[in-house]
Amino acid sequence: MSRAATADAVYDESGGKNYINAEKGVVSWLTTVDHKRIGLMYLVSTLTMFMIAGIFALILRIELMKAGEDFLTPAMYNQAFTLHGAMMVFLFIIPAIPGGLGNFILPIMIGAKDVAFPKLNLLSLYLYWTGSIFTASSIVSTGLDTGWTFYVPYSTTVSQTSVIAVTFGAFILGFSSILTGLNFIVTIHKLRAPGVTWYRLPLMLWAIYATSIVQILATPVLAITLLLLILERAFQVGIFDPKLGGDPVLYQHFFWFYSHPAVYIMILPGMGIISDIIAVHSHRRIFGYKAIAFSSVAIALVGFLVWGHHMFTSGQSELASTIFSFITFFVAVPSGVKVFNWTSTMWGGSIAWSTPMLYAMSFLFLFTIGGLTGLPLAMVGLDLHLHDTYFVVAHFHYVMMGGAVIAFIGGLHHWWPKMTGRMYHETPAKIACALIFVGFNMTFFTQFFLGTRGMPRRYHTYLDQFQPLHAFSTFGSWVLGAGLFLVLFTFIHSLLKGERAPKNPWGGKSLEWETSSPPPTENFHRTPVVTHGPYDFATTGK
Amino acid sequence: MMSASTEAHEKGSPDFVVAHHFDSADTQFDAGRLGIWLFLVTEVLFFGGLFCAFFIYRNWYFDSFVEAHHHLDKQMGALNTVFLITSSLTMALAVRAAQRTKRSETVNMLFVTFLLAGCFLVVKYFEYTHKIHDGLLPGAMFSAQGFATQHAGVFFAIYFVMTGIHGLHVVIGMGLILWILIRAHRGDFSSRYYAPVEGVGLYWHLVDLIWIYLFPLLYLVG
Amino acid sequence: MAHADPHDHGHHSHGPDHVPHVTPLPIYLKTFATLVVLTVITVGASYINLGTSVNLALALIIATTKACVVAAFFMHLASDHKFHTAVFASSIVFLGIFVAFTMFDTSARGQFDAQKKNRPAQMTDPFAKATAAPSAAPAAAAAPAGATKAGAKP
Ligand code: HEM
Ligand SMILES: [Cu+2]
Repeated sequence: MSRAATADAVYDESGGKNYINAEKGVVSWLTTVDHKRIGLMYLVSTLTMFMIAGIFALILRIELMKAGEDFLTPAMYNQAFTLHGAMMVFLFIIPAIPGGLGNFILPIMIGAKDVAFPKLNLLSLYLYWTGSIFTASSIVSTGLDTGWTFYVPYSTTVSQTSVIAVTFGAFILGFSSILTGLNFIVTIHKLRAPGVTWYRLPLMLWAIYATSIVQILATPVLAITLLLLILERAFQVGIFDPKLGGDPVLYQHFFWFYSHPAVYIMILPGMGIISDIIAVHSHRRIFGYKAIAFSSVAIALVGFLVWGHHMFTSGQSELASTIFSFITFFVAVPSGVKVFNWTSTMWGGSIAWSTPMLYAMSFLFLFTIGGLTGLPLAMVGLDLHLHDTYFVVAHFHYVMMGGAVIAFIGGLHHWWPKMTGRMYHETPAKIACALIFVGFNMTFFTQFFLGTRGMPRRYHTYLDQFQPLHAFSTFGSWVLGAGLFLVLFTFIHSLLKGERAPKNPWGGKSLEWETSSPPPTENFHRTPVVTHGPYDFATTGK
Repeated sequence: MMSASTEAHEKGSPDFVVAHHFDSADTQFDAGRLGIWLFLVTEVLFFGGLFCAFFIYRNWYFDSFVEAHHHLDKQMGALNTVFLITSSLTMALAVRAAQRTKRSETVNMLFVTFLLAGCFLVVKYFEYTHKIHDGLLPGAMFSAQGFATQHAGVFFAIYFVMTGIHGLHVVIGMGLILWILIRAHRGDFSSRYYAPVEGVGLYWHLVDLIWIYLFPLLYLVG
Repeated sequence: MAHADPHDHGHHSHGPDHVPHVTPLPIYLKTFATLVVLTVITVGASYINLGTSVNLALALIIATTKACVVAAFFMHLASDHKFHTAVFASSIVFLGIFVAFTMFDTSARGQFDAQKKNRPAQMTDPFAKATAAPSAAPAAAAAPAGATKAGAKP
């Protein structure tokens, strides 16, 4: 294609200048408004949080290897699972994909020079850091033992730990998340390059767009919830306190009005990544583009109608439980649409079994299990038994970790050459992927059995009959941990010794593959004009 | 909202450059406006939680709400409503003046808006001190005597949180108005570039909008 | 980076300068007058007792009218891109969902308490209960039928 040829010539002119080496020094990074640098800083920060929260997880699993109190007191166990959960959710998975990968890739994918409000973007990052400091400060002060859900009245009247610091941190993180979403929506509306129509957006961007809608509509409710919680704890205003006429269940409504949609903030960008990986590595036009695109939006919207499925045992009315249960099943439809479309895309494609593709396969397997085990939990009668057991722990880890985190790691591999300009070694990367897959299933599949047999969540000990399954789960967590560290080493090795990455290592068709690796500060040397879709591969299957 | 690029650009008026990542002043303008509207959406949902709580507790503790709302001063509330809608008018006129490059008119209108916002807060101050004096306070702090119903504390919890957060928005709004007032005085704005005036204006109208609901719900029908 | 959206409308001059859409002064003044009149009406109405739900409905209708006027003219939605109206309206829709669905809970709690009392769950032997309680069942069916009707008007 002639356009590619001219583009090549242009990039040779760049003389080795790119966004990484354009300016030097810490200050140039801290004051940058370049979305790529901001994305990279998000990635480093969120991955650090992932590591800390992951270490908490491994500690929890070691405590659970044997029944009884081993080396964590019950109070310490409570703090460890709370910090693990809160950090994983608020400091890692919610900001990681939009803030990290999304920031980096979104403007490039639409042929823009930056996001619509670059300074606001930097402000999001600073708010993320501020919120993280508040949240993480609890580790060195009195900890937090409320669970990541901060349920009242325990959090307002009983807990002796630093509830206010952490909830205030989460409050600030909410603003960071809102500003990111706002920025992305405006960017997609206003900054698309000539020829980038809505139906030529890579599916990653439809997913990010849907995510941004959720961030805008749901996060403010979290903000007011946490503010009321802080006021309640500080001044006993009584809105959630039954002693004063308030209603603790109302807190749960407020919390889950945000936090159920928030699981879509976690999983939707992951689904976007998977759509791109599968199409590019199968070299095949995506099957059902519009179905995947609109199912993202549908999931985002229907996701607002189901929050009460977290409250079947809370004492909410039977009427509400019935309605919420009924609607929950509908969320499965758009998710199913996606899984079938991804599978059909691979049919007849020429599949490259590269590392990102292997992660995509893991995702399909694990996310499907996570999604399907959600259905029994949505049935009121079954949930009365399964609620607050390890079945729930297994379910949400299959969705959050098996879904969102696996997709995130896959996406990191997919865009790594673009971001860093270096290739990584396929062999260790694939071994890491296999270790993660095996370790993950060892750790969490066992927990479905534990849950159905009555093992409650959030306990440091258990009945003797659960011993073998718990021990097996702990061994699995070591395999999983080893896999994750191998990913880290692969990436570090790539930074130090990796081969230089070409412009388009996987043969992708979307815009990010038409600029150099790593891209120049302005992303493109001249505004690209797009004449084809993001998945116009030669092989269209049969 | 806008990020003005440092690189010299031939587009636009001398004191305003189109940021490098926008193709035209129009696009940049629209982007800013869409951004503000999205922000206003988050504001509505932020206050929305409190409206939700209001309706639920009103349903449950109807008698308490009716009894408690008689302790709010309708006249003061109405006066404040007049202050806010007038300030909305002057804010709209400030934007209109900026659109026509009328510098001193912009400054004057912003100044009046600022004063009206201040009046609102003064009235609110008197209302609050009066409530505090009478012990008409939220939840555990409620100490007023002689109530026939039990849950007036819930009403005052909602009253104080809602009007408190709204008042905080008024204070922030005054800061923003002052900021664009200074910029307008400096001559930053013209018919080609007045986005910050319009943005602050939209925010200010939203503060008014929320009060339009707070006033009848809290003061008039309880 | 063109305005790739051909369906957008609003001001369109693709030159380097933005040309503002200036609303005529009388519109602002009329808007203001409307707001003042409606404020007087709503305060006046609050002195007349029309029954609490009528008073509430009236107050909300007047407030909503005022809000629409402010949004349309002071906030320029009437002359702006239709998309901005949609954006703003979405916040009201989702707020409505929030309030309505929460009320499915708060205004229907305890609806089935009567039934539960008549047929207490026997956790140690749940299935034995079903056969042992036929005499209680008809009584239970009668009571909650009324309770459901009374409670289910959210
Ligand atoms: C590294 C692999 C991981 C392991 C071994 C692990 C292990 C655990 C364990 C043992 C618990 C406590 C269960 C209990 O006592 O109730 C837990 C809870 C939790 N985990 Fe993980 N986890 C991992 C990754 C993740 C990820 C990636 C996420 C989210 C993105 C996540 C989110 C949560 C949440 C939200 C909770 C609930 C905390 C609470 O109950 O308040 N975990 N995890
Ligand atoms: Cu949910």
